[in-house]
Amino acid sequence: MLNTETLLHIGLGHYIFLSGILFSFGMIAVLMRKNVIVMLMGVELMLNAVNLSFIAFSKEMGNYNGHVMVFFVMTIAAAEAGVGLALAVAIYKKFHEVNIRFFEHLRG
Amino acid sequence: MWEAIGFYSLAIFLIFFGYQTITVPNPIHSALYLVLTMIGISAAFFNLGAQFIAGVQMIVYAGAVMVLFVMVLMLFDLKSELRSFSRGLFSGGIKVMSAALLAGLAIGAANSSVAIMETADDAVKEVDVTRQLGILLYTKYLYAFEALGVLLLVVAVGVVAVSRMKGGTHAQH
Repeated sequence: MLNTETLLHIGLGHYIFLSGILFSFGMIAVLMRKNVIVMLMGVELMLNAVNLSFIAFSKEMGNYNGHVMVFFVMTIAAAEAGVGLALAVAIYKKFHEVNIRFFEHLRG
Repeated sequence: MWEAIGFYSLAIFLIFFGYQTITVPNPIHSALYLVLTMIGISAAFFNLGAQFIAGVQMIVYAGAVMVLFVMVLMLFDLKSELRSFSRGLFSGGIKVMSAALLAGLAIGAANSSVAIMETADDAVKEVDVTRQLGILLYTKYLYAFEALGVLLLVVAVGVVAVSRMKGGTHAQH
């Protein structure tokens, strides 16, 4: 199934594969790390992986709608980073630590 | 041939630095590896003919967002943690497997949709990317663009509210 032609002709599938690997790395960081800021970095990595697949599809389709979507995703990612870091600062002020071990039980 | 060599070296670069981002114990090193990953993704955008998005990626992510992350990390003065991963070998294995399963499903679905995908009617040539992007942004997506401005205003107000928040769920009575 895999032959030299598939390996050497770089198409959409290769970029989708790379994007999927980066997305799973980001997801593993969110699920397994204990530091809140590293978890936020995992979210950024996931958003970037999705952006990569948007641009790859946009090139395949031959129009620029995917570029506009990536532009919007980048703006929202920057906003999300701002809110997430403000939350991390609030958590640090309360617990003097940003490890989720100390606040995994929310109280209502 | 050269395209393949470029893509594979970029892919190895990205996967190595992505792996380092999620495994190094020190959060500062993690942030610096993430900067390198962002630069690699920017190079991938450039390869795919998205010059404007590549530049924005460099400015917004590798510039602004990561500087913010590093600044917050240095403000907290976090040392590298002894136990930076969550506990439990079994649950950890399940987490890794679920991430791999999701990635496999996404790749499979995308790859099977490639065959039935057809080129758009309004396909444009590979010239004037920034001009075409600007025209699209200010005609077809104008309302979304305006809504994004409102969203940024709400986020700015919300960040101030969160950082002045007192109490919350762990308020001490």
